[in-house]
Amino acid sequence: MSTDSDTQSEADAREQLIDLAAEFYDQFAGGEVPTMSIPTRTKSNIEYDEEMDVWVYGDRESTRSAKTVSGAQKLLKATYVIDFLAQQLEEDRSSTLRELYYLSESFDHEEAQFNSQDESNQLIEDLEIVSDVRREEFHMRPEESGATVMGPLLIREQTRRGEREIHCQEDVGEGGYQIPNNPDTIEFLDNDADFVLCVETGGMRDRLVENGFDEDHNALIVHLKGQPARATRRLTKRLRDELGLPVTVFTDGDPWSYRIYGSVAYGSIKSAHLSEYLATPDAQFIGIQPADIVEYDLPTDPLSDSDVNALESELEDPRFQTDYWREQIELQLDIEKKAEQQSLAARGLDFVTDTYLPERLDAMDVI
Amino acid sequence: MTSYQSTLAEGEGIAEELAEAQRSISIAEFFEKNRQMLGFDSGARALVTAVKEAVDNALDATEESSILPDIYVEIQENDDYYRLIVEDNGPGITKEQIPKIFGKLLYGSRFHAREQNRGQQGIGISAAVLYSQLTSGKPAKITSRTKGSADAKYFELTIDTDSNEPEIEGEDTTSWDRPHGTRIELEMEANMRARNQLHDYIKHTAVVNPHARLELREPQEHFKFERATDQLPEETEEIRPHPHGVELGTLQKMLDATDSYSVSGFLQEEFTRVGGKTADKVIDNFRDRHFGREMAWSAPATHEDADIESAVSDAVANKGAEATAEFAASIAAEIDDAGSVTHSRVQGIVETVAEGVEEAYATTFGSTVREKAAAAAWGAVSDERTGDIYALVDEATTDRKDDAHVQGLAERVATKFEDEENPHDRLTRDQVEDYVDRAADATEEYDEATFGETAREKVVDAIWGQMSTIPDEPPNITAIDDDRDTASELHEAMRETDIIAPPTDCLSPISDGLVLEGLKKEFDADFYAASTRDASVHGGDPFIVEAGIAYGGDLEESSSADVMRFANRVPLVYQRGACSITDVVKTINWRNYKLDQPGGSGIPNGPAVIMVHVASTNVPFTSESKDAVANVPEIEDEVERAIREAARDLKSYLKKRRSMEKRRRKQDKLATILPEMAEKLQEVTGKGELNIDDSLARIMNNVLVDREHENGTVRLIVENNDDTNASLEITDIVSEDPGEVDGANVVEMDGEYFVKWTPEVKAGTEASIEYRVDGDATFDVQVEGIEDEKLTINA
Repeated sequence: MSTDSDTQSEADAREQLIDLAAEFYDQFAGGEVPTMSIPTRTKSNIEYDEEMDVWVYGDRESTRSAKTVSGAQKLLKATYVIDFLAQQLEEDRSSTLRELYYLSESFDHEEAQFNSQDESNQLIEDLEIVSDVRREEFHMRPEESGATVMGPLLIREQTRRGEREIHCQEDVGEGGYQIPNNPDTIEFLDNDADFVLCVETGGMRDRLVENGFDEDHNALIVHLKGQPARATRRLTKRLRDELGLPVTVFTDGDPWSYRIYGSVAYGSIKSAHLSEYLATPDAQFIGIQPADIVEYDLPTDPLSDSDVNALESELEDPRFQTDYWREQIELQLDIEKKAEQQSLAARGLDFVTDTYLPERLDAMDVI
Repeated sequence: MTSYQSTLAEGEGIAEELAEAQRSISIAEFFEKNRQMLGFDSGARALVTAVKEAVDNALDATEESSILPDIYVEIQENDDYYRLIVEDNGPGITKEQIPKIFGKLLYGSRFHAREQNRGQQGIGISAAVLYSQLTSGKPAKITSRTKGSADAKYFELTIDTDSNEPEIEGEDTTSWDRPHGTRIELEMEANMRARNQLHDYIKHTAVVNPHARLELREPQEHFKFERATDQLPEETEEIRPHPHGVELGTLQKMLDATDSYSVSGFLQEEFTRVGGKTADKVIDNFRDRHFGREMAWSAPATHEDADIESAVSDAVANKGAEATAEFAASIAAEIDDAGSVTHSRVQGIVETVAEGVEEAYATTFGSTVREKAAAAAWGAVSDERTGDIYALVDEATTDRKDDAHVQGLAERVATKFEDEENPHDRLTRDQVEDYVDRAADATEEYDEATFGETAREKVVDAIWGQMSTIPDEPPNITAIDDDRDTASELHEAMRETDIIAPPTDCLSPISDGLVLEGLKKEFDADFYAASTRDASVHGGDPFIVEAGIAYGGDLEESSSADVMRFANRVPLVYQRGACSITDVVKTINWRNYKLDQPGGSGIPNGPAVIMVHVASTNVPFTSESKDAVANVPEIEDEVERAIREAARDLKSYLKKRRSMEKRRRKQDKLATILPEMAEKLQEVTGKGELNIDDSLARIMNNVLVDREHENGTVRLIVENNDDTNASLEITDIVSEDPGEVDGANVVEMDGEYFVKWTPEVKAGTEASIEYRVDGDATFDVQVEGIEDEKLTINA
């Protein structure tokens, strides 16, 4: 990725934003009511795109219209944020979502200020959708990135201080290589990897590294850190698409963790407009599966009410409408139990690397 | 009018009787015993009552002489006593009248007259005189000047508490600045603790008497209430009683006193709203009670044994075969034609047929023959009753009743008619009920059927309906007067008959227009509503209820609404809780009318005044002190309707006001947000200045008036973005002559041209006019017919 094209995409992003503002301007000038239509971002409005193999938004739209006070406030905020982003791009600077939220405090008009960070995050997503420019291209960062990669991979990263070549096993410490906010600034140079293993929890990731799982099995261990950030998902997708590596996901055995898998594989509801760019449709789920709980007789916790609700809601989630998931979820509802990744330690610290993962990966035809 | 009614007030009136009865005890004693009843139970209260009685009298005195009232009330603190002075501009009173009016307790020309007046019992002002005399020992000082007289007369008056007779102590001639009027000065033991009630009384009096000028000067404050209208209340007429309004005792007295011979004459002469037709209706109802009704039976069918024709033939002898045959056949045919007949009807038919046959055959059918024929025909008609009764019972009861049971009941009822004593089948309704009850009881007992209350009632109704009023002459007045039971039958018949409400010219409602004026005069509010109901009757006394509501403005926001009660234009300031008007206000669900009402009942909260006026020839009070209207259902219903009528207007006002407030808030907000957004958009896009008025008008569903002015052509465009149609009155004031304008009128005034255009713009559409002006014309457009909140002028 050259500096030229970078500048190009920045200029494009800025152009797109200003076009959006010009659209509002023209609506006013024509005596019309300024409006902005955005796909409805709910579970009921996502559908499977067979061509892209990912979940995208359906046809339902919600309209932010200046006809209502709340609509007018949203449009005013949008205008202020467009102004801010255009300036930021012009000055080639970046900011975090949280900074934007606090920055709104300095907007001279009270009505333009955000009431919560959810609101500002949502607005950025709205602008992404309407302008067809990704947040990263607006130079908006999430607060914490910090997800890491460990494994036999050599990359070149475009940093503010110039290009760096980094080997994700040899040039990094125990912590691994930190994925930057915009992973598109990374170029893959070389690798010895056989597959990608995405891990939900830090504890399990550290266990795998300590046990040398990456070295033993030529695995690229990606730490998801809970619900994965966009950068992590983007990198995972690039590892799959550009290097042709199979992607596997290893999480806790509870409904929330299935959603983590879901967002890696199918994209999240909130960012379904970017599914094409973020989702790795053929990512495979390792576990912990409800079947594993039974098979390995793992120590468990009982399902709480909210767990049950989440499972039931997943049964209706279009992304989980497969025989595999229906079976697993119904089994879990039946046994009324859940288990953490670390519960495998009940069989000894090496059980996960020596027995569980090899068995599962073998069953999945990954190794 | 030589009716009993007119003598009620004069000679042997109840007032006199009462006064007579009171003379056995000392009047002072009577007063002491009845203080609270008369409104003089405490010093605070006594002062208010005295003011009230004096002012009410003054208002009545002026109005009766068609003088616009100008009343001055002064209260002075005088050592241990208070001195009350009330002056009016009435006609003044003569020496002869003075003792009568001010002295004698219970004197009153209008006691029991059916006319709306303030001082209904004539007890008030004399009680005030007596109270002042008893507490201060000082006489009432009266100054009066009649119209045209040079001087005023001055009297000092006391009441002899033994004889209940007024005595004039001092008498003098004096000068007075009023050209005519009366002034009364009373000294009494009192205090000003009821100052609020006193103020309320005066203020409320001003509200319901917008034609009066009132002034109150008391030791601390001084108020003046000016007139809002020069229109005097309608003069009231005294009316005869309404048939629904008399008690049996009164009716008996009237029967005794009347000169009429017939009931019809009596009813039409002595009562209001009774003409020939209504009298007939009353008399029919009276007949039904007095005589009962006659049962009508259907003519025997061919298969039945009885046969009218042969029965009649057999009953007639020596009249020639042909005439007899014709006679019998005609009677049979007439009865057949009639379907079902009563005994009276049979008699009538026989009479008519006999006349005809007599003429045709030149044979005499004398009364004996006629009687025999009628008896024979009736015998045949009433030979079989079960069938008729069965049909009635079957019709009246539900389909589920067993046929055998219906038959059983019908047979038993029919049997009851075979009473030797009652050959013509005449029954009162009570007797019918008795027949049906006994028959039903028997049917239940022997046939194991059930006939409940409702079924029985329906059967009785059916039979009673089949029976006919007996056309006999009703008893005359003397006969009715002699027999209490008959009088009671007439009384019931009068009550039962539908009679139009009494005339209302005996009432003087304030009228909704003046209620509004009165409220506007005394309360600075944002909204006023008033309603006047049509007259109704309670116990034969007509009454009218009026209600008014004032809302918002300077009215107090934080407390509960102020309820003002009035009876015959007199404010009621005491015993709020005991008054049925208050009860009604409390039971209304004010939340329906957009007022705050904690708990959904009780006096509503908010900046509101609710006034209710009951005008009647006889307002029923809970006590002699006339502070609270008694719970009379008819009055309560009307009070509720009157309040609801006014409240409906309030509701639509508040609804509109709230939606306008909402709209204004929205508009305010958008009016800050959108220009800000426009400014930012100019900044971001680098384009020129934005005019967002049109967008704003669209957003606010506003009516937008826009002007295009190019090359001397002016186009005025109205765009209605609302979802309701707009009827507008648009005046475009142009500095240059626009010539003729298609669709608008042009009027020139002082060198300016007024282009008047009244478009009807449907929801979501636009309308325009076009005209040409030369040079640099200036424009000023004004738009009427739409709320400011909904209008955007961009022209």
